[in-house]
Amino acid sequence: MNFLSLKSLAVGAVALLAVNTASAEVLRVGMECTYAPFNYRTADGELTGYDVDVAKGVAEIIGADLEFVCQQWDGMIPALLANKFDLIVASMSITDARMEKIDFSSPYRDSVGRLIGKVDGDLNLFDDNGDPISANFDGLRVGLERASTYENWFNAKLPGAEIVLYDGSEPLYLDLKNGRVDLIMTNPMKAQLRFLDKEDGSGFAFASPAISEVEYFGVGVGIGLRQGQDELRDRLSAAIRELINNGSMTEYALKIFPFPIHNPEWGTM
Amino acid sequence: MIFDLSLIADSIPKMLAGIGITFQLMALSAFLGLILAVILLLMRISGKWYLSWPAQVHIYVFRGTPILVQIFIIYYGFPQFEFIRESIFWPILREPFGCAVVALSLNTGAYVSEILRGGVLGVDRGVLEAGSALGLSARHKFIYLTTPIAARLALPAYSNDFISLMKATSLASTITLMDMTGIARTIVAQTFAPYEIFISLAIIYMVLTWGIQKTFGRIEKYLSRYVKP
Repeated sequence: MNFLSLKSLAVGAVALLAVNTASAEVLRVGMECTYAPFNYRTADGELTGYDVDVAKGVAEIIGADLEFVCQQWDGMIPALLANKFDLIVASMSITDARMEKIDFSSPYRDSVGRLIGKVDGDLNLFDDNGDPISANFDGLRVGLERASTYENWFNAKLPGAEIVLYDGSEPLYLDLKNGRVDLIMTNPMKAQLRFLDKEDGSGFAFASPAISEVEYFGVGVGIGLRQGQDELRDRLSAAIRELINNGSMTEYALKIFPFPIHNPEWGTM
Repeated sequence: MIFDLSLIADSIPKMLAGIGITFQLMALSAFLGLILAVILLLMRISGKWYLSWPAQVHIYVFRGTPILVQIFIIYYGFPQFEFIRESIFWPILREPFGCAVVALSLNTGAYVSEILRGGVLGVDRGVLEAGSALGLSARHKFIYLTTPIAARLALPAYSNDFISLMKATSLASTITLMDMTGIARTIVAQTFAPYEIFISLAIIYMVLTWGIQKTFGRIEKYLSRYVKP
């Protein structure tokens, strides 16, 4: 190979690179990839779920290409801050504590928690108004995901309960079934599909009303991004509102649940 | 990156609250593991295939698999079987602490038995021949000649394994135990500051290692007091 052809090769390569960067902005999206039915892999390894649909819908509207990165839950925000990816689309609730470190788009899903326990538990945990009876939680073992919003709620409301922290949601179901914890608190939509509807979940049921106090659970689930990217944040929020208003958001939910899981008012916020 | 020194100062005392569990895990597993190691060693050098074989299988299995996998199998795997949940072992295996001690003991037992075997094989034949010449029985030779010499020979390698065990206790945080690592991970989840917290944690483990190293250094010196001039 002579010098000339080498040079033309280099020119070609540079041209190719330039075309690539010009084509579309690439956004790397962090999610757990194990949080069914919101973000998980199907049997043939394809990423799917409500969060994935939302991410794809938003990307289409703002004209970006997506690259998915799988990240364990308790390292999600540190990984975003360390620039391992650009967005969190992982069913993350918008809370004040998180807002200190990162920004959020407008919400795209409700943020609720519900307790699950034995059907015949008869624990008498909540009064008629749906408020927890603190004394009856004393000494009960409650399984939660580390770094979840549920932990803050328990610490504030029911300090008598013994909190056991897990690194994922599947181990919660396992240990509830094995009798290592008396109760677990998790997302009710997810628990219904992944646990209660299945054979493993027989003998267990919801042991509380849906709990969604904004102070602890945030206004909803949003897309997380690093601070100081207001322009990107506004584009994301606008795209989410568009998805809500054109019915796509309802469509994503109905793929999985018999009901939409967002607040229609968010479309006009 | 801004390094938050006050966060380090705040978090170290919080993590030290878990040092008790770290110590309990370490001490209990080291003790049970050492007993297991001696039993495995005696089985291996017994010269009887039906004793030596199971010991070798145990050593192979526990050295051949990652300790994290062993912890997961014992914690999440075993309770899947009805008969385990109804057995007398369930009160131990129900608790994450029990599972961690069982896994760590079985694992360190496998390693230490090989370390001890190295010590036994390292004993000079001449010493044993001298023992025979004095009319000691095989049992007496093992107790009075082989054991003290083998212990001294095995000690440096054993201290190595002990330090590994101390650090392996951090894996117990994956099965909900709130040892120092478990507390650190929870603090990280609240502050989103992994560097400061994990570096503080690393410093604590390093100080512990230093202490263990010094202790074993002393024991070694004591056991070798008649060797050195």
